[in-house]
Amino acid sequence: MVFSSAFFFFFYLPIVLAAYYLTPLKLRNLVLLVLNLIFYAWGEPVYILIMFLSTAIDYTHGRIVEKCKAKGNDRGARMAVASSVIFNLALLFFFKYWDFLMTSFGVQGLFRADLWKAFDGWMRSFGINLPPHTPALPIGISFYTFQTMSYTIDVYRGDAKAQRSIINFGTFVTLFPQLIAGPIIKYKDLGDQIDRRDHTAEKFAAGVQRFTVGLAKKVLLANNIGMLWDIYLATPTQNLTVLGSWLGILAFALQLYFDFSGYSDMAIGLGRMLGFEFLENFNYPYISQSLTEFWRRWHISLGTWFREYLYIPLGGNRVSKSRLLLNLMIVWAATGIWHGASWNFLLWGLYYGVLLVVEKFFLKKCLDRAPVWLRHVYALFFILIGWALFAVEDFAQLGPYLAAMFGFAGGGLWNTDFLYYLASYLPIMAIAVLASTPLGKRLWDKLGEKPRQIALPILMVAVLLICTCYLVDATYNPFLYFRF
Amino acid sequence: MSKKYARFITGLFCGVLTLSVAANALTPDQEFSQIENRALAQKPKLTADTLLSGSFMSDYETYVNDQFVLRDFWVAGKAYVERILGKKENNDVYFCADGALITRFDEPDADRVSRNLDKVNQFAAAVEVPVTLGLIPTQACVWSHKLPANAPNYDQKLVLDYVAENTALPTVDILSTLMAHKDEAIFYRTDHHWTSLGAYYGYVALADALDYEPVPLSQYQKTTVSGSFYGTVFSSSGVRWVAPDEMDTYVPEEGIRVSSVTCDADWNPLVVEERQLYDESYLDKKDKYSMFLGGNQPLAVVETGNTDKPKLLIIRDSYTDSLVPFLTAHYSEIHLADLRYCKAPLSSYVTKAGIDQVLVLYSVPNFTSDANFPFLR
Repeated sequence: MVFSSAFFFFFYLPIVLAAYYLTPLKLRNLVLLVLNLIFYAWGEPVYILIMFLSTAIDYTHGRIVEKCKAKGNDRGARMAVASSVIFNLALLFFFKYWDFLMTSFGVQGLFRADLWKAFDGWMRSFGINLPPHTPALPIGISFYTFQTMSYTIDVYRGDAKAQRSIINFGTFVTLFPQLIAGPIIKYKDLGDQIDRRDHTAEKFAAGVQRFTVGLAKKVLLANNIGMLWDIYLATPTQNLTVLGSWLGILAFALQLYFDFSGYSDMAIGLGRMLGFEFLENFNYPYISQSLTEFWRRWHISLGTWFREYLYIPLGGNRVSKSRLLLNLMIVWAATGIWHGASWNFLLWGLYYGVLLVVEKFFLKKCLDRAPVWLRHVYALFFILIGWALFAVEDFAQLGPYLAAMFGFAGGGLWNTDFLYYLASYLPIMAIAVLASTPLGKRLWDKLGEKPRQIALPILMVAVLLICTCYLVDATYNPFLYFRF
Repeated sequence: MSKKYARFITGLFCGVLTLSVAANALTPDQEFSQIENRALAQKPKLTADTLLSGSFMSDYETYVNDQFVLRDFWVAGKAYVERILGKKENNDVYFCADGALITRFDEPDADRVSRNLDKVNQFAAAVEVPVTLGLIPTQACVWSHKLPANAPNYDQKLVLDYVAENTALPTVDILSTLMAHKDEAIFYRTDHHWTSLGAYYGYVALADALDYEPVPLSQYQKTTVSGSFYGTVFSSSGVRWVAPDEMDTYVPEEGIRVSSVTCDADWNPLVVEERQLYDESYLDKKDKYSMFLGGNQPLAVVETGNTDKPKLLIIRDSYTDSLVPFLTAHYSEIHLADLRYCKAPLSSYVTKAGIDQVLVLYSVPNFTSDANFPFLR
């Protein structure tokens, strides 16, 4: 189930809100847990078992860590943390990276589909029939395994107390607003809210506002601009022009930002409607003046996670220079491959690893003296090249695409297709470019209390109406040929 | 934000949700969408199997969308918003000059084109009678001057040239004739077919190859049968701001018998259904083009009363439906085979029905994409 569907907005969300607010305060976590599980099972019912397993194992580990610590048994606590981390990474590894690894090493007959078949046969001998298809990658597994990993570590570090109630803990693990696309929430930031949170009209209204913004970002901007990138991704490389390939990658950059930050906004908004405050995940990344700044503004919850749970445990910056370089490369390789089981994501991660090291040790001084516009050009240039590495997963296509961007593909500077797509998408891209800067927010703040109060409900209803057009049109699929 | 104002926003949002939930719950489910011309998804049945396989969930999401209250209104709204945002197309349909909606034509699959042409060539070699091949270029080609500036558009002439170079059969140059009349209403603006006038020019273009003397246009009496035709492209585009098309007929239908025949594998008729050259009952429905010959059918036989004239078999798509009236003057019988439904070997039908001439007539988009040519044997 995705938030940007008619089903979620007009069917599931009303059920969630009604059930949640009709339940007495004490039972709300239980109700929320059930609603979370339905939300998750909606896409692939079998994987609800992963949720049960994750909840049970991490809950137990958290309690063990706390008990060991109370007895002064640091070794035992460390073992428990290690065991929990191994379990979560194994889960992630098996579902996300196993097939990729088998393919990379050319191993046949051990793909997840093969394992599933064997498992299915084994279950059948007990008279249990599993669904006939191999379940796909569990949705959101990269997000929730990172969240559950943070839990035992936080408990060990004393940043959070172990959760006593398994229902409350289950609610944390499965919390639907950010279950499938983040933000990645660390237990220490949410633990207290799971136990106790206020439900106020102010929070709810702020949530509504935020959700609507996110919905508009996703449905009106991201989906729309995404179609332009789809066109350029599908363009045969000999037809790619210099300007066309840049337009395509710009479209991807905007699509990805509005898709992802729109989803985060919807998560934060839904969270507030249910009484939670999540941390921010994006802060206008495209206005950055350096790549270091970009990564402070882009997918903040992931960057923080890797910093706190990988970079600092590796020694942080209090190590020798060569060790620091190694640590940085490890962190960026991990960040890259986290985005998907494919070599291009690893390459993309290392690309940033190298660039950030260069920036940190050499470029920083030059950048500080450079004019502001040049810093923007520098940052955007490397961000866009990075998105090309990220977006074109097939290496056979990546080379020609990059070549086209720099005029080495022989397709010329532009063609009529480029002019057509530019004319068609210019208004929406212009809106998107403006919307990726704080300009709108500044104007909104300048508007003054009274006009804002009048504008808000009008804008909100207008956005919901327009989004409904797009959501309903999603299955608009006239069947024309056979019956005409 | 004051408490009072926050309550107002909360109330507004929950009000919108409640209203839409109530509206969706209270409006009865529809079986069929006229405008989309398809059955709409119905509420899926909940069983252990559909639940475990997940099909219940995905079907339910489709069901909610398909049965959404005022569905057509939202779909139309999306097309309007796209236009305001400067888009020049919606759902693969270009917004064109003169209120025309034109489906985009992209580079066809070269393999499919060559395989389809091979089938036509093999069929021609297998039958004793002359076979003619005609391809009808569509709006995207003939009316390319109406497309938005720089709109991507594959040149259908390239397909015609390829076909002419790779067949020994006589081919008909319909393109030049249509191009000579491109400023007339030869295509519908909201439908993918040609109009009766366009079909007339097609009939003129075919005359040499089929060997008849076309009747001059001035000898017909034009009858406008409908002024409210919204065709397939109107449906697929979601565009609701264009004027409807006019539908005309030229040839009187007196003395012409149309039968829709269902045959067994040896071409023995099993069911014969009487049809008309113009079935005006379709004019009250959305699907008005089916007025011509009553819409799709596997095999149709048109008997004209000109018993001294030859018999023609057309292997065809739906463009032929509006062409047939003009051909009636020159044939005793016109047989129409649609490969989508007619799967028995047509070469034996040629013998059995005593056919004198065969015409293979398709629009370029259908010829380059149809997967049913393997049945042409």
